[in-house]
Amino acid sequence: MAHGAVKPTKPNIRSVYSDYLIMLLAPCYMAFHYYGFRSLLVIAVSVISALLTDAFAGLILNKKINFGNPGCVFAGAAIALMMPANVPFYVPALASFFAVAIVMMPFGSDENTPFVPAAAGFAFASVCFKESVFNYAVGTQDSVFGAESLGSMLLKGSSVHIGTANIFDILIGNVAGPMGTGCVLLMLASAAFLLIRRPSSLLSTAGFVVACIVTVVLFPRVSASLKSNLIPELCSGSLMFAAVFLITDPVTQPKKNLNKFLYGALCGVLCIAMRKMGAYEETVCFAVILSNALRPIFDSAIDNMPKRIKKSPRKEVTE
Amino acid sequence: MSANISFKDALKKGALIYNPVLVQLVGLCPVIAASTTFIQALSLSVTMFLELIVVCVIASAFFKNLPRWIRVPIYFIIGLALVCPILYAIETYSLNDISLGMKIYLPLTAVNSVVAVHCEQFSVKNSIKLAFYDAVASGIGISAIFLITGAVREILGKASFAGISLNLPITFKGMALPFGCLILLGFLAALLKSFTAKYYPQTEKEEEVKTVTEELPEPVNTVEETVQPKTAEPNAEYSAEDDLNEFLKSLGIELSDEEGDAK
Repeated sequence: MAHGAVKPTKPNIRSVYSDYLIMLLAPCYMAFHYYGFRSLLVIAVSVISALLTDAFAGLILNKKINFGNPGCVFAGAAIALMMPANVPFYVPALASFFAVAIVMMPFGSDENTPFVPAAAGFAFASVCFKESVFNYAVGTQDSVFGAESLGSMLLKGSSVHIGTANIFDILIGNVAGPMGTGCVLLMLASAAFLLIRRPSSLLSTAGFVVACIVTVVLFPRVSASLKSNLIPELCSGSLMFAAVFLITDPVTQPKKNLNKFLYGALCGVLCIAMRKMGAYEETVCFAVILSNALRPIFDSAIDNMPKRIKKSPRKEVTE
Repeated sequence: MSANISFKDALKKGALIYNPVLVQLVGLCPVIAASTTFIQALSLSVTMFLELIVVCVIASAFFKNLPRWIRVPIYFIIGLALVCPILYAIETYSLNDISLGMKIYLPLTAVNSVVAVHCEQFSVKNSIKLAFYDAVASGIGISAIFLITGAVREILGKASFAGISLNLPITFKGMALPFGCLILLGFLAALLKSFTAKYYPQTEKEEEVKTVTEELPEPVNTVEETVQPKTAEPNAEYSAEDDLNEFLKSLGIELSDEEGDAK
């Protein structure tokens, strides 16, 4: 660095999370639009649980109690939005508790955690309360495929007929699924907002989406046309939500642009592979956690690879 | 450990400060995979406790002069001799629930790393009494972890304790899975660390000094040492050939280099 040059400062995590909270307002409104007042209650319970856990952990660890930590609010709201509207209240509450108490607080704060707390919380709920988390039977507003979600149909190997009549319903989230993550158009709008505010974050999203598309094209789950595989796969569950909100998390993302793209690509491949081979309908959170665990490889090994190649001279064979 | 160590000190160090599972990180596999219920954890901890005591005492009494490469398989053979009767007893009394729950991990206790590590690091270098103290202390440490994880995982994961239903409204199925146990062990390790730092700060300082010494760069050899390197020291790199020679010497057979070359 040249003498006198200003060292680039770390982005303020609080302001970043504030941006994400603004972006989350739209999915919250969609959840209210489709599922009514109960969806807002679920979100409120989840957020309050996250905030109370944060305050309680602060008391135990003798830290300054900060009510309204944006990281906790984001984790609580994101967890709730990935669940169905008819989920029992204790499920998002416990998932948020897990995200803050087990994933966030042991590492000090939301600025140091190596895993995305919302992804870890939802993964915990998926494992422990599978029946509640993937039950879209009650309260769904779907008029296209009944109470069965796209992810569930793909998991069973049923092909989804994609026609001009229902493709718009799929894109606006008018199908059975998580209450706040189904509207793909809204996710694209959120991505556009992120593109204006923090464009480099979207490199992970780009890598993720490209890797998902390539993996689906190469290894389709249903023996049907490309369109019937690709659209339901990308629009089902929380895949697009994770692409915009979870993978772009500023704390757990790699620092360099190429690494961000590769990180997203790995996450995409893992997500589709686990959907194809795993037992769960929604696997994106598991993929995000696994990619988080592999992040040091992106930060150190890939960065140092050119230096290592330069340093190790080829051994000349002398006879 | 010094030769004048009391049982209380051995217990404090072996079970608490250097707990085999939480600090030394040995024997994690059976704890994570098989301690899903309290009864299973109890069965495994009793087996491991007995095996640890018997093998460590025998190692301290008879194996001091044997080379390392032959000692380790002998530990496992003794462990197998202890575990086999337990397996037969389980079959005879039709305790299939316990046997099936523990899967392969009960037979595998015969070859577990806790025994090998404690025998090699401590028992063969110390008296029988100290080896016994160390084995009991480590056995208590590992058994405590088995029982705690078994109880917590059964209560949270299956809403029961020792097979008795507790009628809890919510169960966390994830606690019965390995990831639940890993999280639990992480929190237990953190608790133990903070407990040790608070009540035994001296040990923490010793650990820090050790770590700093280990991180120091190796001293640069003098010219003489470089020209005439020292002969093998007691702590020099492990060599199977040296061990073999030692073993042959203990049997009264000596092979010179020339003979070896000729052969």
